[in-house]
Amino acid sequence: MTQSALTNRHDSPAIETTSFDLSLPVSSFATGWGAALTRTQKIDVVTTECTAEPPKTISFRLGCPAVKTYSYAFPELPEWRTEPTGKKSQTSKKSRPQADNHAGRTRLKPPTDIVKLEDRLYYMLQPPLETILSSESMHMPFEPFPYQYQGIAFLYPRFAAILADEMGLGKTMQAITSMRLLLRAGELRKVLLICPKPLVSNWKREFTMWAPEIPLCVIEGDQTRRHWQWRHQAAPLKIANYELLMRDRDVVLDSGLHFDLVVLDEAQRIKNRSSTTSQITRAISRSRSWALTGTPVENSSEDLVGIFEFLSPGYLQSGMTARRMAKAAGDYILRRTKEKVLTDLPPKLYRDAELDLTPDQWCSYKSAEEDGVIQLEGLGAELTIQHVFELVLRLKQICNFDPATGASSKLERLEADLEEVAASGRKAIVFSQWVGVLEKLRDRLRRFGTLEYHGKIPAKKRETVISQFKEDPSKHVILMSYGAGSVGLNLQFCRYVFLFDRWWNPAVEDQAINRAHRIGAAGSVTVNRMLTLGTIEERINQILEEKRALFEAILSQTAAPRSLGLSQDEVFGLFDLKSRRSDQRRAA
Amino acid sequence: MSASGSKSVPSVGFLTVQEYTDLGLIGGYLILNAVGRPLEFHCTAPVRPNRAQEILYGPTLAPFLYGEQIGQTLVAKGKSRPMFVCTDVEPVLSVREFVSVPVVLITAGGDESNRQHRLDASHAVPPAPKSRKLCEFQLAHHQAAVAEDHARDRDNIVEQWRPHTEAVDLLEPFSRLREAIEEAQRGATRA
Repeated sequence: MTQSALTNRHDSPAIETTSFDLSLPVSSFATGWGAALTRTQKIDVVTTECTAEPPKTISFRLGCPAVKTYSYAFPELPEWRTEPTGKKSQTSKKSRPQADNHAGRTRLKPPTDIVKLEDRLYYMLQPPLETILSSESMHMPFEPFPYQYQGIAFLYPRFAAILADEMGLGKTMQAITSMRLLLRAGELRKVLLICPKPLVSNWKREFTMWAPEIPLCVIEGDQTRRHWQWRHQAAPLKIANYELLMRDRDVVLDSGLHFDLVVLDEAQRIKNRSSTTSQITRAISRSRSWALTGTPVENSSEDLVGIFEFLSPGYLQSGMTARRMAKAAGDYILRRTKEKVLTDLPPKLYRDAELDLTPDQWCSYKSAEEDGVIQLEGLGAELTIQHVFELVLRLKQICNFDPATGASSKLERLEADLEEVAASGRKAIVFSQWVGVLEKLRDRLRRFGTLEYHGKIPAKKRETVISQFKEDPSKHVILMSYGAGSVGLNLQFCRYVFLFDRWWNPAVEDQAINRAHRIGAAGSVTVNRMLTLGTIEERINQILEEKRALFEAILSQTAAPRSLGLSQDEVFGLFDLKSRRSDQRRAA
Repeated sequence: MSASGSKSVPSVGFLTVQEYTDLGLIGGYLILNAVGRPLEFHCTAPVRPNRAQEILYGPTLAPFLYGEQIGQTLVAKGKSRPMFVCTDVEPVLSVREFVSVPVVLITAGGDESNRQHRLDASHAVPPAPKSRKLCEFQLAHHQAAVAEDHARDRDNIVEQWRPHTEAVDLLEPFSRLREAIEEAQRGATRA
């Protein structure tokens, strides 16, 4: 600190400053580095040869080859030219849900004998039947049952088929709808339907209901007219009966006629291959063959062979075991029973009336049987099955009525039962194999408002009889022969069926019963089977039961049949007689 | 897209892809008229991606196989030009990038839309990416969707299908189609 500063502290606030020179003396000298810093550097390059291989690359082809395709085109279906013009049914179909349930839809499936892929695809790719039939142009008066859709799906793609549903399940409707679909699809242009004469009007009626837009022609009238109808009628569908077919065989077989489809109703008519009917139907030129029958096996497996001769000649052969036959025919036959598919159909109640003959009848019966057997035995080598049949028929007639007094335990029972039927306002069908018996019944049952439907009733009057029976509340009983009344009639308003005598064949009896027990039956159907004890009827009944077992064996594909039905030996066996042939066999 | 109109019959296409463990993918294309009758059926031979495709396409492999390879080829084979093409397999929607006809995904509900399509274990096609953006709507009785990139298709499809709503169930033909693919495959195996 300087002197002046010290002085200021005591004397005055003046500040005295003192400066010092801090600079250092610097001397410089030249080094010569400046030029070196600005000069370009010299770089020496050393080259070393690289000996490594170039890196490998892997290429993947991502370009894709063309995808191979298979293509199939199907014909556009022709439009049907007319819409149904008839009155709309009062029963309208229920609408179906569109999208929620695919499981309930019935699809066409090609049969195994269609092998060409394009043909198989054609059927597989068709819409479900429910969709087709629900379209506006395919008016259906009633909603078909699910099993009926399956039946249509079965028939539609098949060129050879047997629809063998039990009577009353609607074979007619299924066949008509299948034909209708095929006609509309252009797959059929000419169809021939052959049925028993009494059923022609029934088929006409059913076509009007189920396929009103399809023109049909019933072959009838005199020969000139029929020939013109066979050759020139433009309708795509012709209906002929078996009897006419025989008379018109020349024009049917020899004039170049060809049908896209021939349908045989009650096809058991051709079970006998040697019959004229069978020969003519087999000779008709056709592309498709369908057979409708509730009884493809009536007596023996040979019946089925006979029907297959029409469908696919030689496919089934005589002598095949029932099991093998069932397996071979399986894809061609569709058989359903009411028990399986119509669980809500009213029950069929059997009430077997096992009766004792009246004393008069018994006396006549014993006498006729003893005398008859003695006569048969007396014939020796001359004995034929015809002789035995004559005795059987004579005895069966005595079981119905005593020839001397007219006494009848069956009639007594029938009258008692019909009193109850009439009192309750119900209706009943009484079946017999003889018109004579029906006429006797008519006289005794007149008070029940009895009507008749059998071979002596002219065909033109039969429809009137059925209408009267259906509509007139005072008519409680209709007397029918098995021959005239067992097929094609819809009598589901009847609650009672009486089998006054038994037919030889259980299938025919079933058909008769099913006139009443069928779709639309309002309630249970009671079947009264009349049987006189200790007589030929009881013995025949045992054989009928065995036949029933045979039928089930072949069509249910469960087991081989135990019996081939009412063989010649069995007919002889009814009287403990031995047939000549069996003697010969034993001798051999 | 070669399915240019050659017929005036209103028709709808149905396109699906079936997966076979041992064969790969087989596509089927069915063209029906407006009442559901078949007009054309086309199917592919089995298509199987190679290993390189599996690795390099990654999550885009399924749309590539279902749409570009199979779908495009099948739609091009059709002689009729349908109003639109339905599919029940979501990756097939990618075919819309290659064809001019609208493509719509039809589903019955959640189960169908979540269906996985895979190959066998050694050649697994990854499921389609869930990032695909869809434009969903109701078509007749079904849930439907188009790719969002083609959202305009929706109005066209709804408008064109309106007169035929009750005639054909748009989901039912896929069961026919799958059966036909099976049958064709069996036929090819026999041959």
